[in-house]
Amino acid sequence: MAKYNYDKNMLKGLGVGAFLGEVKLREKHIEEAEAVMPKSVFNPNIVAAKLHPAHQNGVIVKVTEYNGAKKYTIAADKEAGTEKLAYFKSGQYIAFELEIGSAYVCKPYSLCSTPSAVFADDSIYEVTVKKTQSGFASDFILDTWKVGTKVVMSGPLGHFNYETLRDSKEVIAVAGGSGITPFLSMAKAIVAGDEDFNLTILFGSRTEDVIILKDELEEAVANSNGKVKVVHVLSDEEKAGFEHGFITAELIKKYATGDYSLFVCGPKAMYKHMDGVVKELGLPKRRVRFEMSGEYGSPVNDEAYPKENADKTFEIKVWIRGESQTVTGKADQSLLQAMEAAGIHVPSDCRSGQCGWCHSRLIKGDTYIPESADGRRLADKKFGWIHPCATYPLSDIELEVFPIR
Amino acid sequence: MSKKYDVIVVGAGNGGLSAAAYLAKEGKKVLVLEKHNLPGGCATSFVRGRFEFEATLHEMCQMGEGENAGAVRKLLDSYGLDVEWVAIDEAFRTICTDPNNKYDVTFPVGVQEFIDEMEREVPGTRELMTNLMEFSRFICDGVDWLDKHDNEPSPLAKIDMMINWHDLMKIVPVPTDTFLRNIGMPDKAREIFESYWDYVGVDSTLMSAAVYLFMTYTYLTRKPYICKNRSHEISMAFDTAIRKMGGDIWYNCEVTKIDVKNNEVKGVELADGTYLECDRVISNLMPTVVYDRMMDPKEVPEYDKKLLNARDLASTCITVYLALDIPYEELGFKAYDTFLRHTGDNHVQYDSSAEIATHKDNCVTIINEVIPDCTPEGTTFVQFARFYKTDAWNEKVVSEKNYFKLRDQVADETIKQFEDYLGKSIRDHIEEIVVATPVTWARYLGTPYVDVYGYRAQTWDGMFPRVQMGHKEDYTIKGLRFVGGHGTQMDGYSQAYMSGREQARYMLQDMKEGK
Repeated sequence: MAKYNYDKNMLKGLGVGAFLGEVKLREKHIEEAEAVMPKSVFNPNIVAAKLHPAHQNGVIVKVTEYNGAKKYTIAADKEAGTEKLAYFKSGQYIAFELEIGSAYVCKPYSLCSTPSAVFADDSIYEVTVKKTQSGFASDFILDTWKVGTKVVMSGPLGHFNYETLRDSKEVIAVAGGSGITPFLSMAKAIVAGDEDFNLTILFGSRTEDVIILKDELEEAVANSNGKVKVVHVLSDEEKAGFEHGFITAELIKKYATGDYSLFVCGPKAMYKHMDGVVKELGLPKRRVRFEMSGEYGSPVNDEAYPKENADKTFEIKVWIRGESQTVTGKADQSLLQAMEAAGIHVPSDCRSGQCGWCHSRLIKGDTYIPESADGRRLADKKFGWIHPCATYPLSDIELEVFPIR
Repeated sequence: MSKKYDVIVVGAGNGGLSAAAYLAKEGKKVLVLEKHNLPGGCATSFVRGRFEFEATLHEMCQMGEGENAGAVRKLLDSYGLDVEWVAIDEAFRTICTDPNNKYDVTFPVGVQEFIDEMEREVPGTRELMTNLMEFSRFICDGVDWLDKHDNEPSPLAKIDMMINWHDLMKIVPVPTDTFLRNIGMPDKAREIFESYWDYVGVDSTLMSAAVYLFMTYTYLTRKPYICKNRSHEISMAFDTAIRKMGGDIWYNCEVTKIDVKNNEVKGVELADGTYLECDRVISNLMPTVVYDRMMDPKEVPEYDKKLLNARDLASTCITVYLALDIPYEELGFKAYDTFLRHTGDNHVQYDSSAEIATHKDNCVTIINEVIPDCTPEGTTFVQFARFYKTDAWNEKVVSEKNYFKLRDQVADETIKQFEDYLGKSIRDHIEEIVVATPVTWARYLGTPYVDVYGYRAQTWDGMFPRVQMGHKEDYTIKGLRFVGGHGTQMDGYSQAYMSGREQARYMLQDMKEGK
């Protein structure tokens, strides 16, 4: 027994009785309590369930056609158990679960409707799907979805939204093609009073006749009290009343005044160009937001990609709950795509390496992960975990994935 | 499906991971089922832009290293966790902004250093503080002694306890505040000394002096610890270690039902309908959740219902995470962990934490103080946590519709209080902001209301009485044990890891004895 020099007077008047009686005292408290079921669901639990449903069921109630695109209006599918769709922040997306032949695909689309429309009686979302060159999923949607089609989707996701405490009151939005959709939602939210900032959208399209959602944008501008402006920028056409060419630093400076935040959403090809524009503008990082969700695409032309692999095909051994199967993957295909093509229900949402929902354990093999799509945490890298949506095989691969069902 | 596992662990939070690692190390076949896609529960991180934010870890207790390793450090080392631990050379900074009682003190670690600093701030306390620290050393040794006896001293050891450790027994039931007043500690020194209360989840009038002195002394002698790569590193290290020892972990695998018949565990049912037979389950989920949502109500024992109704839920929390685009050196605020309070009286703080409208106190954490390269060059993390003692985010204040606005409003107030103290604005430097409200915690943790600290560790239900009843008395279903921050050892990472060890050990005993 060690020696202790504290002054025993500190404990004057205290005995060991209370300690020896602690269990009895606790038993007394327990004995006096009611034997009814303890309550486990409180308001934050209820609000969380409404805002963050794992899945939502919807039914298409309207299809609006544009040149090369369709806007789908989706109502809550009450029959399937979804009474109301979840509220969201303009700029967020939802991911649809699609069964395409024997394949399973989870595909994100930005919401283009006003958030408060979920509180209307029929509780709706709107998404706009454009025909794209490599659009396996978008082709399927455009070909098969019609009024009455039932859809299964995620809750609202993503962080491409206006943050009151971070962003400038002046937002310059750069949209390319279907990249207009989150900005349309923001414009409508400003009109509805759900958001409060000034939004100038520089909307790039090839020609005037392929501009999508034009009438809705005009309506938002007209009702916004001057808070929303839209400038159409046509790349392949010179016309009075339109800007012409690409969206450049010059053009942005023409419409921006003072301190502003720059939001960018469009095809990945546009991002490379916009990277240069951002550099030229000299904006601090906190003033620039790129929407990242959506396929990274083939990496074989990346500078860092080991070219000798470009045409190869690999075996991918996939473990799920202690059982394995082997599928085939091409070098230019993400591990997620390869598994989806084989009908494996790998969870995924953003498809761009950012959200981490497809977090999986790499057991064996070499991979290529594009730097700009490597949204992994530090410890994932340390312990060899990957996001299959943004990981490409460089050899045969063995991995463990965690489907929900 | 036939019985493949000796034990199924429901929930891969800190307690569940620790229990699974303990059992796997003892050669048991373990399956961990986690509803999310990541391990860790609270122990996680998230990426925004060029930053990886720490979700919840402030600091770990009972760590230390080498000769001076504490119980938690020894436990985690015994699992073979590959974690880069980082010691913090500061105990805490405490700031009181009450115009009539202003102070701002930073305490280094080290017992003598702490006494010296207190003497500088409150002259004349040296003798009393020295005495208190010596008594705290005795308490820590007593707790270690109990730990060596697995907190269940044999009849023979109990005699030893009565002879050598009776002063520990005397102090356990005394509230911290009462004890410090009794020994004549000046008010200011007492208020400062009690600063840590926020991390215990009850104010000093409800908290055992033995527990508080043990915690404080351990931080001073073994230092607070964090890990290099945010707490996701600890959780992933657990995942790796458990697999290495033969355990399995399935993510995205929600357990919807714990099947109990005639007071015995039979198995678990998953959200997809899969049934896994198993007669031993360790639940990292709070018993309140298991009984109310995941069991046949007829099978919930009367005693357990009474136990849970006797207890109070502890605290819920809001955290505001900022990444600023200024270098730490230019922030004008230095310290890892700061208690920024509007009054020195933690009882007043505790009461004002009941509502959003009256809450005025923040814990401010700046990881850059300890890990300078945790953010890219020229940037700084600043995090604010505020704890609510009740269901402050109740239906009168928050709904789905006003949620985003309320979230921004509370974050705005939180930042403003910091700016008021700082005397300058940081608004123009916010590169990333994330706000985790009780609704956010509800999404990820699912606890009732949404509790991050388990059951209120008030005097009658504090650590010592819980531990004494945590083996045989509490939770009466055969084959079912509970671990986590809501367990016998109280809240916090370290305590959750310890509860995993404790309950896994009891389960091994149960298995041997066929109980």
